[in-house]
Amino acid sequence: MRFGGLTAVDAVSADIRQGELVGIMGPNGAGKTTFFNAISGVTALTAGELTIEGRTLTGAAPHRFAAMGLARTFQTPRVFADLPVRENIRFGLKFAGRRPRKYWLWGEERGVPWALRNEGGILQLIGLAHLADLPAAAITPSQQRLLEIGMALATRPRLLLLDEVAAGLTEIEVEEMARLIRRLRDELDLSVIWIEHAVKVLLRHVERVMVLHQGRKIADGKPSEVVRNPDVIEAYLGDEMVDAQEGLT
Amino acid sequence: MNSRTLLWRDLLVLFGLTGWALALPAHASEFAVSMALTCLMYVALSSSWGFFCGSSRYLSLATSAFFGIGAYTTAVMLGEMSWTGVIALGAGLATLVAVVMGLAVLHLRGTYFAVLTFGMAELIRHAISYFEKSVSGTVGRVLATVPEMGVIYHTVLCLAVLAVALSILLRRTRFGLALLGIGGDEQRAQTLGVNTRLVKVAGFALTAAIAGGVGAAMAVRWTYIDPHTAFNPFIGFQTVLIALIGGAMTVWGPLIAAIVFSVLAETLRLQAPQIYMMTLGILLILCVLYLPGGLASLRWQTFKAWWQDTRSWWKARRYEWSGDKARDKRKARENRIVGI
Repeated sequence: MRFGGLTAVDAVSADIRQGELVGIMGPNGAGKTTFFNAISGVTALTAGELTIEGRTLTGAAPHRFAAMGLARTFQTPRVFADLPVRENIRFGLKFAGRRPRKYWLWGEERGVPWALRNEGGILQLIGLAHLADLPAAAITPSQQRLLEIGMALATRPRLLLLDEVAAGLTEIEVEEMARLIRRLRDELDLSVIWIEHAVKVLLRHVERVMVLHQGRKIADGKPSEVVRNPDVIEAYLGDEMVDAQEGLT
Repeated sequence: MNSRTLLWRDLLVLFGLTGWALALPAHASEFAVSMALTCLMYVALSSSWGFFCGSSRYLSLATSAFFGIGAYTTAVMLGEMSWTGVIALGAGLATLVAVVMGLAVLHLRGTYFAVLTFGMAELIRHAISYFEKSVSGTVGRVLATVPEMGVIYHTVLCLAVLAVALSILLRRTRFGLALLGIGGDEQRAQTLGVNTRLVKVAGFALTAAIAGGVGAAMAVRWTYIDPHTAFNPFIGFQTVLIALIGGAMTVWGPLIAAIVFSVLAETLRLQAPQIYMMTLGILLILCVLYLPGGLASLRWQTFKAWWQDTRSWWKARRYEWSGDKARDKRKARENRIVGI
């Protein structure tokens, strides 16, 4: 990924398996968000290849990524502020190629989980059902983060990209968010890639973690192994890693 | 009111207004009918403009180009085809131009998009002027046989009803929701699965089709057509102004503003053209300052809030002018000194 003379993300490759919860961490400017922009089609790749289930998506417009089952959130919540919360969720349901249908019997249709059947189901899942009729501008930023996850879920994704969803939340809210993410993964059989600046939280909740530094992948593996990696310790100047190691043991 | 009730209310209001407009020529004077025709023209233009540009927040200044293309189609083809054929051809050609123009400029936003659409409108005007002068060897065209006033009136009425009905119905569809999403946050809409390019071009083309049809129908009001009359940029500006004053995001805003504007225009223009333009300017400034949602967002609460604002402003002035404020200040200072 190049911007003029600057190479922001270079030779980072990742293989994500179904149902995997992968964390991405790295210091400021490591290229985490640029990596997300590249794999969600928001910025076009300058070199390399992207495939979902064997189908090439290199150079495609972002809506094609959504139709293929890839959904994302943004670092600062981007919701439709003028529309009510319910309409925000409906937006995702209406597009992305998989429209909601009426269910005559209990069950799943074309692999759509029951929890994602309609706006009500999704609002219940993310815990915003009581705010459904408020405009999205009127809810708190932490609720907007949940709403963004709901909007992404409404496209019925198979791979969910979460960009710093715990930023700016209180400690209790962060724990709740982490629990929600694990629940979504378990109940909906999603693959999740979760970028987070707060290392401790991330390492406690994911099974696999990738570390980016200056646009390159310097480590990839289980959290307990990654925190002992000398390159990672150097990138983080040691301090945070010592804390994180303590947190894990 | 839920969404279905609102839909029926809107359609009923439209039905009532259509009936009223249909009955008008039988009862009103020729002057009133001509005024109603201008009004209907702006209802059609600004409703269709508001549907696309209001929802998606793409400020297009190309209306005069599409209107002109329609008008010029009539000027060239009126003797050769049926009246319906001419209107359809005008709308079709405008749509075609809008699709090409949309593919070229709809990736730009804000000022760049506005300036470029205006530039393209001017380009089309000058291209046709040049073509007429150097190839056809004329500066304009005379319309010898024109349809009766009744036919023109009903055609424009039809187009106006179509524009408002589309604006009511399409807002409730995926297409309308997609346009709203584009207006809110285009990139977000894209990542949620909206093919924004297709939606924008389709919306732009729809606006152009209505403008082209209206241009084709209105052209016969002039007996002589040259590119400078047909592509008059003033028509485009007025459409934008009417939609903004009325409230471009709403269904009824452009319609209300078109009626207000036409009545104002006809009553003031003849007597004092300067005052007419000044009134329009002042109305726009007031709308931007105090009524960002347009005339359609006026509610009883709006008046109440204005009244309260004025009252508190007046209270503050009275407190200042009566000398009470200065006295209170002096007292506070004296108390401080005593306190030390």
